[in-house]
Amino acid sequence: MSPTLDLQALARIRSLEWRAKSIMEGLWRGLHRSPYHGFSVEFSEYRSYVQGDDPRYIDWKVLARSDRTFIKKFEDETNLRCQLVVDHSRSMSFGSGPLTKADYAATLAATMALFFMQQGDAVGITTFGQTLLEHIPARNRPGHLRRLLLELEKPAPAGGTSLDLSVQLLADLLRKRGLICLISDLLAPVEKLERQLALLGAMGHDVVLFHVMDRAEIDFRFDKAAHFRDAETGMERFIDPASAREVYLNRLNVHRDLIRRACERQGIDYRWTPTDMPMEQVLFEFLSNRTRQKGGPAPR
Amino acid sequence: MTWLFPLYLLGSLAILGPILMHLRRRPPQDRVEFSSLMFLEAKTPMPVSRRRVEDWLLLLLRCLVLLLLAIMFARPLWLAKSEAAVASNQATILLLDRSASMQRGDLWKEAIAAATRHLEQSAMTDRVAVATFDRQLEWLWSFDQDNTSTSTRGELLKTKLRELKPGWAATDLGQALVQAVDELASASGLKGWKKQVMLLSDLQEGANMEALRGRVWPENIAVKVVRLQVPTADNFTLSLAPKLDEEQPSLSTRGVPDHESGRAFYRVRVSNSRESQTSDFQLAWESGGEASTTGYVPPGASRVLSLAGTAGTLKLTGDAWDFDNRLYIAPAQPRVMKIVFIGDEKTRDEAASPLYYLSRALQPTSSLRPELTVVPETAEKWPADADLVFLSGARPGSALGKKLRAWIEQGGFVISVIGDATAAQDLEALTGVSASSWNLGASASSGSTEDYRMLANVQSSHPLLRPFADERLRDFTKLRFWKHRKLSLPKEAALEVLARFDQGDPAILAGKVGQGRVVLLTSGWHPEDSQLALSTKFVPLLFGWLEAAGFGHESASPLTVGDLLPVATATSLVTPEGQTHFLQLGDTFRAKLPGLYRLGKDHSIAVNLAPEEGRVSPMDLGKLRELGVRVEEGGADAAASVKVEDQEQLAISEQEARQRAWLWLLGALLSIVAMETWLASRRRPSQPQPKFVTA
Repeated sequence: MSPTLDLQALARIRSLEWRAKSIMEGLWRGLHRSPYHGFSVEFSEYRSYVQGDDPRYIDWKVLARSDRTFIKKFEDETNLRCQLVVDHSRSMSFGSGPLTKADYAATLAATMALFFMQQGDAVGITTFGQTLLEHIPARNRPGHLRRLLLELEKPAPAGGTSLDLSVQLLADLLRKRGLICLISDLLAPVEKLERQLALLGAMGHDVVLFHVMDRAEIDFRFDKAAHFRDAETGMERFIDPASAREVYLNRLNVHRDLIRRACERQGIDYRWTPTDMPMEQVLFEFLSNRTRQKGGPAPR
Repeated sequence: MTWLFPLYLLGSLAILGPILMHLRRRPPQDRVEFSSLMFLEAKTPMPVSRRRVEDWLLLLLRCLVLLLLAIMFARPLWLAKSEAAVASNQATILLLDRSASMQRGDLWKEAIAAATRHLEQSAMTDRVAVATFDRQLEWLWSFDQDNTSTSTRGELLKTKLRELKPGWAATDLGQALVQAVDELASASGLKGWKKQVMLLSDLQEGANMEALRGRVWPENIAVKVVRLQVPTADNFTLSLAPKLDEEQPSLSTRGVPDHESGRAFYRVRVSNSRESQTSDFQLAWESGGEASTTGYVPPGASRVLSLAGTAGTLKLTGDAWDFDNRLYIAPAQPRVMKIVFIGDEKTRDEAASPLYYLSRALQPTSSLRPELTVVPETAEKWPADADLVFLSGARPGSALGKKLRAWIEQGGFVISVIGDATAAQDLEALTGVSASSWNLGASASSGSTEDYRMLANVQSSHPLLRPFADERLRDFTKLRFWKHRKLSLPKEAALEVLARFDQGDPAILAGKVGQGRVVLLTSGWHPEDSQLALSTKFVPLLFGWLEAAGFGHESASPLTVGDLLPVATATSLVTPEGQTHFLQLGDTFRAKLPGLYRLGKDHSIAVNLAPEEGRVSPMDLGKLRELGVRVEEGGADAAASVKVEDQEQLAISEQEARQRAWLWLLGALLSIVAMETWLASRRRPSQPQPKFVTA
């Protein structure tokens, strides 16, 4: 999977749209060289018009271009509805590298939105913090992408993460079945999360969880003792990293395991996404995984 | 290696500071924004100290900076071998002041102690010469002696120094320094040596330094001054003030002549030193005849007092130092001068006669008592002790003439007026020039007061007319001559014309005859011939002749200690201590003590301390420097105290100033500070600390 756009260069691109497009470019190049062909979120196929079909659903545009008749309705049925759920809590604004977690999540979401919309899928955005902040339902209309990007570019407001509450609210909003991509650092108690995720699964949604974390959070390689301030609560605590590191890493691993296991149990695709991982790689692996799943039993 | 200020080394303890600071953990002031504290311990104890030192290099540099700083302040130096070698090649002249002012307090003891100490400290390889000086320099130990007997130098000199006492003479510092420098320059085997003069003196401002003027001081000779000081500078000086022209009224009005009673007014000067704390004094005659006088002189001023009293010793009291408080005054002792007038004794009171004027003009003065004896022309006996003979118109008999001639030949002095009666034969008898050569004419008489002659071409440079050397006395226009004898000067006569009349005739002639002298006047001083006796010129002219005869009426300058006494004619001399010296012809005697010396039987001479010696205020060393003397800075400072430790310290500091190790240390220190700064600036963001980045 090369060549990839390095994160430093990516961070220098101010516009989220251009950022997403440049990632897409790399992604396509990778895909063309990949052994996988014709994959999509949902395999889409235009059905030829047969007698008896309602002529209202004929794709006139295609007919005009190719002089062949395809049923338009069929296209609508095969398209995917993808809801990108992005964590906008304060903790996402942390970052030790060129991109903060929020930047990374926004770019990732924007790239996915671009990718899906190019595929002709409908994409929506939901942001959450303590509660649901913004919800844009999935659509595929000209101009919709810009609206999504505008929403993603909004700075993260102050506030903590209430994952289970947000997921619950989301479940109420999403009635149609589709793909739900949850992008979050998951820095919140996860006891009730499994239940909410199971609810989404039960509603027929295909759920992918991108667990975004900064390298500093993963390794905790601070060398100096300092007052650490919680970005969400504002609480300060004196920490000597040398002595606190071991406990921290243990706890983090336990937390990750909990989430991973919960995802496994609920059949949710859990994607471990450190912010220093190239975004093309994240997407590529995600898409490859989806293709493999298409061949297997339906993910329910 | 040694240290100039070792106490500063304690400053190196300051390295504990950085060590402790490196061990101490400062309560962190840093704040780190972190995403969530949910995985962190609820409570982490805040550490206060570290068990191990981080940043060893930084700590080392910081400690090194402090250590170097302490060492730099302690001023290290190396007592190099070459230093000792230089010191061994040192030639020193110890100049010991033994003037009268050194009698004060413990000055002399300190001077001897300082000299002894220097001798003890000087190495065997050093060359040392010792001299004392007051008005004159005396070598106690020369370089030649030092060359031959270096091993016994210490003991011998110590004995010699112990026996020395300060004298009574004045201080001629300039002469002493000049002689010392000459000795250093001329002494053999001192080429390339370090030369110095060590001056042990109270350095009074009255010291004479004239000899240093116009003298170029050699570059390679330094003067190390050890100034000796006394705790108090209260000092009055007593000296004789010169007599005024207007003499005090004579005390002889009370019936007793001055020269017999010895009682007179004396003018004395009392000076007070600048730093003096006292200003009241008492003056009293030691004989006790007169009441004591009290007076007041402010510090730095002087005052002249007139005191009535009998000659003797005048003593001043009221100050701290006694050495200059006595003034010796010899009684007035006028010399007797036997003057012979050949003529008639009866004319002594006749207003027209020359004797009349002569006897009245020859009045006694404080130093001269002329005794006029009249010898008749016909006398046969010649007074043997005559000092001067006057002859005015008289014609001595043949017997007297011969004796007179013989007396002149032996060195007599005759003043003769060529009168009307004088014949050429008389002149031949007097001068030995044949009578025919004189061409003696008759008296050229004007006959009236309107027609007169005046003096012209007066040779005032001649010793006989010396009183007229003063321009104010050279106006002869009011001196009129009515009558004079004409003569032509014989060629063979050894006579010269001292003055002529305005028409060219000789007026005064003088010359040598044998060993004696003859003065011839062509006109007399009595009113018949001229106005001379009545003019203001007569008495000066007369005393000029007396002076030429060896009887100056001016009193001799006062004698001070160290002067040669006028012992030319005396056969014995009694010093103030009472010792009697018998003198041979040609002997000289230098006064070593102040006091009254008795010459012969009854002649007294007062010898006093030089008044300059009483000016004991300390002299500014800048004066010596102005005269070009290379006074060593250190030496001047060390003068305040003559302690050995101070001198050692001085030597060490001089050495340190030459080595200047501290400059190198400073350079090293600055470079270490630069390294430390660079290193610290690199260490500050030691690990990339995650920053809080706003999304």
